[in-house]
Amino acid sequence: MDIGLERLRNMVLDMADLSENTVSTSIDAYVQGKDLRERIYGWSEQLRMLQDEVSELAVELIARYQPVASDLRFIKSCMEVAYGFSRFGRYAHDISDVFGIFGDLSKCDKTTIEQAGDQAKNMIRVSIKAFTERNVELAGNLKKMDDVVDNTYLDFVRKSASNPLGDLKCTVSGTLILRYLERIADHATYVGESVLYIVSGERTARR
Amino acid sequence: MEKFKIQTEKLNAWFGNNHVLKDLSINIKENEATAIIGPSGCGKSTFIRCLNRMHELVPGAKSSGVVLLDNANVYARGIDPVTVRRRVGMVFQKPNPFPTMSVYDNVAAGLKLNGIRDHQKLDRAVKRSLELAFLWDEVKTQLDKSGTSLSGGQQQRLCIARALAVEPEVILMDEPCSALDPIATAKIEELIASLKDQYTVVIVTHNMQQAARVSDSTAFLYLGQLIEYGETTQLFENPTEELTERYLTGKFG
Repeated sequence: MDIGLERLRNMVLDMADLSENTVSTSIDAYVQGKDLRERIYGWSEQLRMLQDEVSELAVELIARYQPVASDLRFIKSCMEVAYGFSRFGRYAHDISDVFGIFGDLSKCDKTTIEQAGDQAKNMIRVSIKAFTERNVELAGNLKKMDDVVDNTYLDFVRKSASNPLGDLKCTVSGTLILRYLERIADHATYVGESVLYIVSGERTARR
Repeated sequence: MEKFKIQTEKLNAWFGNNHVLKDLSINIKENEATAIIGPSGCGKSTFIRCLNRMHELVPGAKSSGVVLLDNANVYARGIDPVTVRRRVGMVFQKPNPFPTMSVYDNVAAGLKLNGIRDHQKLDRAVKRSLELAFLWDEVKTQLDKSGTSLSGGQQQRLCIARALAVEPEVILMDEPCSALDPIATAKIEELIASLKDQYTVVIVTHNMQQAARVSDSTAFLYLGQLIEYGETTQLFENPTEELTERYLTGKFG
């Protein structure tokens, strides 16, 4: 079983690298006004397939070895974390799709989105590091970081609603992207919760 | 409120000079299945054999401490061990029906020993016990056949029916499925789940997955000591003690 657990861990870490790169690329492409939809779609599909492979291996390990205690918690968490990473890919794809819907957005002020994007990217990095090192302290930081992204999204929506004369294309595209970033941040927080569960068995109530 | 059926306080047991149980204190809940797990030689079987005073039947064996059954010490002066064993029945690793007896007589044996001769009463008790042991439908037309002519799984359920016939309050099971195939094992496990309604069940098992499947509470013993005892789900998912974690994940044992 130890060999299987190591394989599972490596698969999840491969997903971690790919998902981080996918999200970064999609945010950068939006900021720079580049159309990278095809490339990002390919990566998000790859993440989805990797998630299936993680699930299959996890189920095989459960069926063959009937793991308990920390082994069981690790396997369960790998499935959850792999799902989180595949969602990163999906939201990255959604972000890149905004270009397809709205076309050129070069006139929009992208400062808020850049800041939220940096925070989301940072959260992904922290969540991966926490998972790799089984670092509960790092995992715990993610909740506070998530609050920042949540607030940025809500502030943007409120401001947009109170300014009906703003550029509709910029407002709608910005809202969509911030919403995707907000979901990415949520999933990074869930990865942190999985780390806490692996280490201590403690379950966190979802907000 | 939950009630404890059996409580031990500083229970110790020896075989000659070999100290096999060390100050074991545990509260076993009524109408629950409690699993006892641990590596070979950790004292699991000795522990349950102390609960119904079978340990003392082994030459050179002795014990000390308290075993309370419904708050009364079964080791108190004047307590008849036979009465204790009637209240606390036992099923062993290998099915051991009385070889010369029919299915019917195997189940009725304990009652006859207790002086019951009324045929109708015996018939009712045999039927009830075989039903409780999930065996009635399979043997109702062959009650006169030898008990040993049944399959291994049926023989083990016959032994359970035999234990149930004398209307015990607690059933101790010492690796009851270790000689059985998966289908027979599944039947015994299903039976354990149904017996909990009326009895308190304590099962010793080497099979951790079986402990996880059938029990409400699990006790982990190591080198004669109780290392951890708690709700089965909690113990198997998130054990408190490092030693339990290492045993469950196969790091030793």
